[in-house]
Amino acid sequence: MKMRGAAVAFLISCLLLVGLSGCSTKKEPAGTGLQVVTTLFPLYDFSRIIGGTHAQVTMLLPPGVEPHTFEPRPEDMIRISRAALFIYTNPFMEPWAEKILSGINNKALRVVNAGEGVSYLSGSIDEDHDHDQHHDHGHGGMDPHIWLDFANAAQMVDAICNGFVAADPANGSEYRHNAQLLKGKLAALDERYRQGLSSCATGKLLHGGHFTFGYLARRYKLEYHALSGLSSDSEPSAQRMAALIRSVRATGVKFLFAEELLSPRLSETLAGEAGVELLMLHGAHNLSRDEMARNISFIELMERNLSQLQKGLQCQKK
Amino acid sequence: MNILEILSYGFIQRALLAGTLIALLCSVLGVFLVLRRLSLIGDGLAHVTFGSTAIALALKLYSAMSLLISMPIVLLASLGILRLTKKGRLSGDTAIGLVSALGISAGIILASVGGGYNVDLLSYLFGNILAIKGEEVVIAALLCLGVLLLVTLYYHELFAISFSDELAQVSGIRTSFINSILVLLTALSVVLAMKLVGVMLISALLIVPAAGALQLARGFKVCILLAALQGCFSVVVGIIISIISNLPASASIVMINLLVFASACLLRRVMYPKYSN
Repeated sequence: MKMRGAAVAFLISCLLLVGLSGCSTKKEPAGTGLQVVTTLFPLYDFSRIIGGTHAQVTMLLPPGVEPHTFEPRPEDMIRISRAALFIYTNPFMEPWAEKILSGINNKALRVVNAGEGVSYLSGSIDEDHDHDQHHDHGHGGMDPHIWLDFANAAQMVDAICNGFVAADPANGSEYRHNAQLLKGKLAALDERYRQGLSSCATGKLLHGGHFTFGYLARRYKLEYHALSGLSSDSEPSAQRMAALIRSVRATGVKFLFAEELLSPRLSETLAGEAGVELLMLHGAHNLSRDEMARNISFIELMERNLSQLQKGLQCQKK
Repeated sequence: MNILEILSYGFIQRALLAGTLIALLCSVLGVFLVLRRLSLIGDGLAHVTFGSTAIALALKLYSAMSLLISMPIVLLASLGILRLTKKGRLSGDTAIGLVSALGISAGIILASVGGGYNVDLLSYLFGNILAIKGEEVVIAALLCLGVLLLVTLYYHELFAISFSDELAQVSGIRTSFINSILVLLTALSVVLAMKLVGVMLISALLIVPAAGALQLARGFKVCILLAALQGCFSVVVGIIISIISNLPASASIVMINLLVFASACLLRRVMYPKYSN
């Protein structure tokens, strides 16, 4: 009796492992060209545009996974150890990158910190004037979501492009050309944001989630209030929730923003309490599995954010 | 901000109401679980819920729908824990450890091979006591009612198995049936309550009130009553303290709970000096 149960359990676990390993290995085509490993979605998208046909770019983070909780698989380690370029956002965003790299013996690997030299936003721009309390946003005080400021994004494109050129000088001119085109598109996007958000009924970006859109708010001069800090582990207090509900009611906005991919429970509670609707913004760290399958681009995501912002802030479309 | 003003918000009222109901059911179940040496079953089943939610999300079943997958799996896992303690000659903590390791490793494997998800798994898994919806208060009330009803119905049997399985069996109690009822109720509570208030709070509410009550109680019924009181008290006081001092609610509740436990220990020294050493 006991033996039979154990045998069944053994068989089931074997089947599970075999079945699962079957689905994990099918997607890696034997690639040619420059092998590039990126961590988060913006870097992946920029790198595949810059690399064009000369590079094979992969992204470490599986769709839907939070960057903070990422753990590499053996296959990821092998891929990094064979790669020519490893591109990450900054030490605040991927504290695990350094640890992974220290375990890899690949002398040819070039590591690019795409966020080097960009203009960082420290801690919090979130000041509550109506009551004095201080919120620590963690992460050593640096906001890691640098790509949401498109001037920073353009600088990241430069950093990535330099990495490509150094790793593969033969195709350098083409990489530079692709990077120029991409920067042009980012500048046009920036202009569309500037125009699109220039005449809005409210300048208050109220977000029922983690402090993600600080850079966006800084660039387009919005007043940003988020429910909780930069760290996704922090839990909001009741006072904080009540304060946000009050400011939603006080500003008379009809929408509260929430971030895609994360559970909307808290945002839904807040929106319900304040009697407003939820609008989703995309933080672009990562994509959902569906978005990945549709091969969506960073610029498309940001276009979608713009139209959500225009709706939420009641802007006049031009 | 004034405390009365915060208390006027619906989310705080729902937190107090659903929190008290969940505390009540967890602390009552907790007394039996602690005495049966299954106190960590809450943590273990939470890990299984993690694994089963990974399956549900891979099949694109979200929030309430994910229960269709995770509920049966967690119920089976709870029976598995029971079976392991019986047939595998293992103690409760080892059996829980085995099943919990299975749950969490299955979840991690599924999270990395399934081609990813459309949402962040962990953020979906754990509720927050400040984000309880109206209909979830009803779920908590029904759950609480169901647990209290079954505990009253099988009170003598549960009492017997809490102290000695063998003795209970000899006196004609269907011990495996009663044990199954106990762990199935626990599994049901863990799966539902975790979505409402998060795993840390569930685990603490199962263990700490029972541990506190056992310091002082001199009878079984008194013990259950004290545990229930401690559980409900710590939820209400914890939430109020979290409002006043601007702290996260669940962690404050757990801390108050532990403080009550510590006071119960001290009180025992004063009340029954010859039993404490």
